[in-house]
Amino acid sequence: MSQQYSSVELIGDETVRHFTMAVLLAALTAALSQISIPLPGTLPPFSLQPFGMFFAGLLLGPLWGGLALALYLLVGIAGVPVFSNGNAGLGYVLVGQGTGGFLVGFLVGTVVAGAVVHRGTTPRDRRTVSVPVQVTGLVAALVVVYAIGVPWLSAVTGLPLTRAAAVMAPFVPFDLLKLGIAVAIVEGGYLAVR
Amino acid sequence: MLTYRPGATVLHRLDPRGKLLVQFGLAIAVVAHPTVPWLAGTTLLGLVALAAARLSPLTVVRAYWVVFAVLAVAPLLAGVALGPPWFRVDPALRSLRLVARVVPVLFASAASLRTTSVRETRAAVQRLVPGKAGQLLGVGMALVVRLFPLVLADVREVRDAIRARGGQRRPAWERARLLVVRSLERTLGRSDRLGVALRARCFAWNPTLPPLTLERRDYPVLVLGVALALSPLV
Repeated sequence: MSQQYSSVELIGDETVRHFTMAVLLAALTAALSQISIPLPGTLPPFSLQPFGMFFAGLLLGPLWGGLALALYLLVGIAGVPVFSNGNAGLGYVLVGQGTGGFLVGFLVGTVVAGAVVHRGTTPRDRRTVSVPVQVTGLVAALVVVYAIGVPWLSAVTGLPLTRAAAVMAPFVPFDLLKLGIAVAIVEGGYLAVR
Repeated sequence: MLTYRPGATVLHRLDPRGKLLVQFGLAIAVVAHPTVPWLAGTTLLGLVALAAARLSPLTVVRAYWVVFAVLAVAPLLAGVALGPPWFRVDPALRSLRLVARVVPVLFASAASLRTTSVRETRAAVQRLVPGKAGQLLGVGMALVVRLFPLVLADVREVRDAIRARGGQRRPAWERARLLVVRSLERTLGRSDRLGVALRARCFAWNPTLPPLTLERRDYPVLVLGVALALSPLV
């Protein structure tokens, strides 16, 4: 068996820190996709999935946050049951249930949120970013998610665009509430300073 | 739940890159040609893939039953009208035809899931994406697969702890905040420890990888994938 004896090129400390955070946020996105909080009456359950996108964008910026969501999608495509209801596979992302566009939207949304909040590929100290900028970034991310997800749903299911939008409309207020919770968590001193 | 099972079928021996390519090609083909002949042909292809993977179509339908149940609602939704005649058949049929495209794609995807290990897909991703980006994606995938059960257990533990303290009496947004804060704290703690562990083990840009080789039996699969992907141009 052949062996390699070339010199080892170590990965820098800063890169390792961002990389491990991206890996763990991908795992957290996967874990939060499996958990939802039941709401009273006929309301849809309160899904925690978008928090992965929010935190990846807020904490890691476009490059490393994008890596986190890309890892989440790739692991699901490779067959680990990380999508909601324990689904997996490339077919689920491309066509399954018509909601694949939202998964892809999470990836693009993270990049957009990260770009607005961090204004560059290197994550900057989030204490220097004002709350309105963070909120703007996350709202832009949500707009991107729906802009990709709704036409995708319409294309897969054959529902007219307006009807697909009407199907997804009840989720918008919940997503805005989640956005508020995410910013409150990051800004409200709940997390130890990192 | 559909997961990888070791085996000796033809699909197990195929290169993962070919299987990924066929799935993409199939999705492009069914989206580009929403006609009955194409639907029948691609569904047949999906069934052949399942047979080659020794997987019963019923198992696949059972595994994806939520997906199929949700999709079954779409034709009904498309047909409903806000005035007489209340239900229109044409849009419902059109929607049904579009929804049916999902079946071959899910069949092919299930066959691939059953016969491709995560490790192989990781190697394929790492080979397909060049340079350091590919390496980080490859190592990252392996780590996410390893850490996902731990993080999921963390989140479930936090949820149970909140419930044990009567958390279900609090408003939903507050429960979500508590759950997410604690889960994020634990996750970031794990990230720090993983970083230390990787650096202690000389985390490098040039590790040794398992070999992937395209053999003679892989070429027809690659040709099929390319042909399906290019079928909209014909």
